[in-house]
Amino acid sequence: MIQQFIFYLFSAMAIATAAMVIISKSPVRAALFLVVTFIASAGLWILLQAEFLGLVLILVYVGAVMTLFLFVVMMLDMDGIELRSGFVQYLPFALIVLSVMLAFIILAVWHTSFGLGHANPSKETAAYNNIALLGSVLYTQYAYPFVLAGALLLLAIIAAISLTFRGTRNAKKQRVEWQVSVRAQDRLYKTSMKNEKRL
Amino acid sequence: MDTIMNLLWIALKILAIVLPLTISVAYLTLAERKVIAYMHSRIGPNRVGFLGLLQPFADVLKLLLKEMVIPSQSNRYLFLAAPVLVLAPALAAWAVIPFSKGLVLANINAGLLYIFMMSSLSVYGVLIAGWASNSKYAMLGALRAAAQTVSYEIAMGFAFVGVLLAAGSMNLQTIVLAQSGNILHWYFLPLLPLFFVYWISGVAETNRHPFDMVEGESEIVAGFHVEYAGAGFALFFLAEYANMILISAVASLLFLGGWLSPFEGIPLLENVFAFVPGLVWFVLKMGFFLFLYIWLRATFPRYRYDQVMRLGWKVLIPITLIWIVVVSFAVKFNIGPWFNQAGV
Amino acid sequence: MIPLTHYLIVGAALFSLSLAGIVINRKNLIILLMCIELMLLAVNMNFIAFASFLDNIAGEVFVFFILTVAAAEAAIGLAILMVLYRNRHTINVEDLDLLKG
Repeated sequence: MIQQFIFYLFSAMAIATAAMVIISKSPVRAALFLVVTFIASAGLWILLQAEFLGLVLILVYVGAVMTLFLFVVMMLDMDGIELRSGFVQYLPFALIVLSVMLAFIILAVWHTSFGLGHANPSKETAAYNNIALLGSVLYTQYAYPFVLAGALLLLAIIAAISLTFRGTRNAKKQRVEWQVSVRAQDRLYKTSMKNEKRL
Repeated sequence: MDTIMNLLWIALKILAIVLPLTISVAYLTLAERKVIAYMHSRIGPNRVGFLGLLQPFADVLKLLLKEMVIPSQSNRYLFLAAPVLVLAPALAAWAVIPFSKGLVLANINAGLLYIFMMSSLSVYGVLIAGWASNSKYAMLGALRAAAQTVSYEIAMGFAFVGVLLAAGSMNLQTIVLAQSGNILHWYFLPLLPLFFVYWISGVAETNRHPFDMVEGESEIVAGFHVEYAGAGFALFFLAEYANMILISAVASLLFLGGWLSPFEGIPLLENVFAFVPGLVWFVLKMGFFLFLYIWLRATFPRYRYDQVMRLGWKVLIPITLIWIVVVSFAVKFNIGPWFNQAGV
Repeated sequence: MIPLTHYLIVGAALFSLSLAGIVINRKNLIILLMCIELMLLAVNMNFIAFASFLDNIAGEVFVFFILTVAAAEAAIGLAILMVLYRNRHTINVEDLDLLKG
């Protein structure tokens, strides 16, 4: 009973916020709705006894990836940019895509259920340990893919840093040639500042 | 009917955790002011009630009676939601903290991961507060908070990895029980570098001095909560101190043996102190860490922002990486007295 | 108990919504990235549902790897986006039609 309630609550939340992600005006709002989608999906995964992945989803996606998204959106201040000119124009097409895709998938999964009515009840006992089970497979049977995943992450770190790195800007170095060639009129200059506007 | 009774019982237990927590937050603020005052050779608040003991309630009353100002160009809903979003994860993380053997709200297998997840969520409130205020100081504070939290989370996660390698479990009760024996079995000794790294990144995670770049009064006035007044500000305050207590609780669980008595395994003293319940030891250990927080604040000046980032990425993370390798070898070859127990 | 079909329908709804999102928001690079994340989430939902109902942990291992790849993709995607914005001052996909920086 309570499981059903949680399931329908969280799935409704996930679908509603996913819809808000794609129709909301500002990227910041879209990112925040996406965060809620992730949290709701993590709830659904934990309901399926996949507690490790549910928590990792929140940890990795909500805690790190979406923080980065928000960071970038806020830093670049994209809310002021007009990017939605084609919204009404593309909306019918999007609705068609949405309904056709949804209809086909639901047709494929409807009630045949692949002969699987219910989840395995052995997982409901206290002795079931999702993390231990996942770890025992991950480090034996899937050891090579696991190492490859680590290599991929390293590659991603290097790529991201080398893409955005612009050299050290405030390195504290003594430049003798600058000191020697300095002139009195370079030392002091007047500036006039504009009035600051709202951020 | 049974379900409803169950839910009511859980709600009661939650209340039994949250109420003492709120009161300890109130008195932590007083303790902070008093301790710093004595470190500065002052007396500190002593007017409200006996020795100033009613000062926190006066503060709370003052903050709650103040008007909540909402900036005209701000995003109203997010502005009001942000303090709640900061406070909620700080309180929710307490669900898995075992106060004594068996005394825990939810004894889940992934307890450590759950705490880690909750501490990573607390950055959202700060980010949203900074963005919704529509002020450049708040924005700067929020951006700093995001970068700092994400950076120090990695070091903190690696420190957790060391602990769970040593204990072989993510369940907090199992981790504490794996440290039983005597005081030398506590993980602060075999995992000493990780203990330091955890503590430093814990201070950075809670944005306390000397890592309070997010607030930085002298540079960005008060950072992300510059636009908040009254109840909103009180909630931010509450969340910050609740987070401090949480980090202290986790530190004492992971590295100082949680509710275990420090006299365990010492022939005579063990029996003398046997009557003290585990909860008392746990609270004392937490108190030690909280004092450390205040001591740090009274002692160190604020870091520069690039120094904060340098410390996180170039010092703490390499240390944890090296020590994880060391711990793995120690566990693999059962190096005693820590890693030679059966089943570890 | 909740039947498997309901989980699959949630996954289908998320997938279709993200596909529609790519169609609607085809100008904004950052929302496109978010839609791709949403699509991967929908796929993961199906994987976990099947792993649970078939009692086969391999599905969860797959999700673990998808999460890894998606995190790497997001990091590199955002880095590229930052560089683009820095050089071109736009993230509108329509303005990014030159093959030179």
